[in-house]
Amino acid sequence: MSESQNPEISAVKAHDISRVFEMPAGPVHALRRVSVTVRPGDYVSVVGPSGCGKSTLLHLLGCIDVPTTGSVLVNGIDVSTLSDAERSALRLRHIGFVFQRFFLLPMLTASENVELPQAEAGVARAERRARTRELLEYVGLADRASHRPAELSGGEMQRVAIARALANGPTLLLADEPTGELDQSTGAQIASLFDRLNADGTALVIVTHDPDVAARARRTLRMRDGEIVEESA
Amino acid sequence: MIGRAIAFAWLRVRREPGRLALGVIGVTAIGALLFDMLLLSNGLLVSFRERLDRSGFDVRAVASESAVIAGPPIEDASRKLAALRGEPSIAAVQRVRLGSADIAGTPPGRHVTVAGVDLAAPVPWTILEGGMASSNIPEPLIINRNLSRVLHLTIGSPVVLNGRCGSGSRPLPVDATVAAIAEFENDASDALTAASSSSLVGALCGERADEADMLLIQSNPARGGPNAAAAAVRTRLPGLHALTNDQIVDRFSRVEFSYFRQLSSVLTAVTLFFGLLLIAVLLTVSVNQQLGEIAALRALGFSRARVMAGVLCESALLIGIGGIAAIPVGGLLSLWLDAILRSLPGIPADARFFVFTTHAVLVHAALLGAGAVLAAVYPMRLVAALPIATTLRREVVS
Repeated sequence: MSESQNPEISAVKAHDISRVFEMPAGPVHALRRVSVTVRPGDYVSVVGPSGCGKSTLLHLLGCIDVPTTGSVLVNGIDVSTLSDAERSALRLRHIGFVFQRFFLLPMLTASENVELPQAEAGVARAERRARTRELLEYVGLADRASHRPAELSGGEMQRVAIARALANGPTLLLADEPTGELDQSTGAQIASLFDRLNADGTALVIVTHDPDVAARARRTLRMRDGEIVEESA
Repeated sequence: MIGRAIAFAWLRVRREPGRLALGVIGVTAIGALLFDMLLLSNGLLVSFRERLDRSGFDVRAVASESAVIAGPPIEDASRKLAALRGEPSIAAVQRVRLGSADIAGTPPGRHVTVAGVDLAAPVPWTILEGGMASSNIPEPLIINRNLSRVLHLTIGSPVVLNGRCGSGSRPLPVDATVAAIAEFENDASDALTAASSSSLVGALCGERADEADMLLIQSNPARGGPNAAAAAVRTRLPGLHALTNDQIVDRFSRVEFSYFRQLSSVLTAVTLFFGLLLIAVLLTVSVNQQLGEIAALRALGFSRARVMAGVLCESALLIGIGGIAAIPVGGLLSLWLDAILRSLPGIPADARFFVFTTHAVLVHAALLGAGAVLAAVYPMRLVAALPIATTLRREVVS
């Protein structure tokens, strides 16, 4: 069993992390001594009012930001010991991101958007084409592979973004308000897709304002003023 | 990483044809001007060198170091010529004396330049019609096509030359006969040029002095070539200043052409600057429009170096495509500009201002390569310094 598949090792573990943003008007404490452990196969939702630190927590768990104090371990590796390039490599192979605004590259087709992280990881062309086809089928968009984002609906764009996030087979998928730009029905379809993803073994952390989406997770972290005030299973 | 960055950049520029067209057309236009500046900065010198070599003489001797031909005359020219003819490093020597004359029918304000040479030695012109060998006429005159056309002169036409010898001087007219029509070295397209013996040119102003304005020397390649011939002139005739074609070109490059070169360098720098500005603006606008996507790519695992390489490759592609297109466009433009400049009065008909050289192409490529890097510096700095989390947050809020 590989290290990433070992249930004893967390997919990501944040220990006593704080994040302070230095602003002209004075320091802003976005996170205050938060500790979270996400194990392989976990399904966690993070809820709370705007500005409570949900996205900041997600960014720190995803190694795109570094805590002011405390430590974050991904697959047992303390990310504070890694260089920027090493953190990029870690994200490329172990962490997937889904964003509220999709952030697909507009000049690329759906399949090219999904291929992009694989190409970056050095996956051979034939292999990444097969994987892309498989992922687009998984998210139900095999017939839209050659369409550009402008030719897709919001829900379709988000499904392409999910396929892109899964491109290199991450053990952890982080989603920041993934249904925030979608209507309720489309949001529910995306949430169902996340359920299926988790059932297939991917650990998920979803930041959301939508109580229906949050309720699908096995664990919910409620935040307020930069702290986790409640954890419900 | 570079291979992936190039492939991705190529995909991007292909998929954004508007931006590609704007960048490539701009770089092509600016690159064509840049290329022309490079052709111009060296072209006149290359052309000058070609013309010197074409004349068949590879060493020139004059009486003064100050200028190649406008200095004082060489005194006692026949003796000096004879002295040089005995030198083993010298294959042939010619003397040139320049004078000015009027011929009946010459358009007002126009005069005929007459070169006096030793007609038995190799001459600095190419016979087009007629010839010297068959002519037994006492004062044969060789004229250029322009003079033949303007005065309707043909082989055998009698000509009366009135020397132009300064105010108050009224020399006797000199009779001559057209023996040949020839193409003269350094002839302007509208020049009225003739040549004959040195004695005829001296007689134009009633002079008997044995003078020459310049000695033209053909070196003996088997005995050291032009350098040995020039050294022999300096040894035998220390009062003369002998210059090989290389030395003349070098001197022109350093002295006479230096202002021309400076002007060309300034225009090259200005042209290059605007090219850089165009690409830098295009790339910066493009980066600023896609900050969210770039931050997302970084979040998905693209390294800082990788996104910087992407911007650099886009810059290189836009400038590369435009730069390559600029060569034929600049080449065509240079033909047009060259024709305009060559039509100016007093410009030798075979002079060229824009000369295509491999060196110019290499400098063009090097300047544009450096330009691609410089144009990408600011947008690369933007993506390198992009805070991923802050940008993603800002893009959602905005």
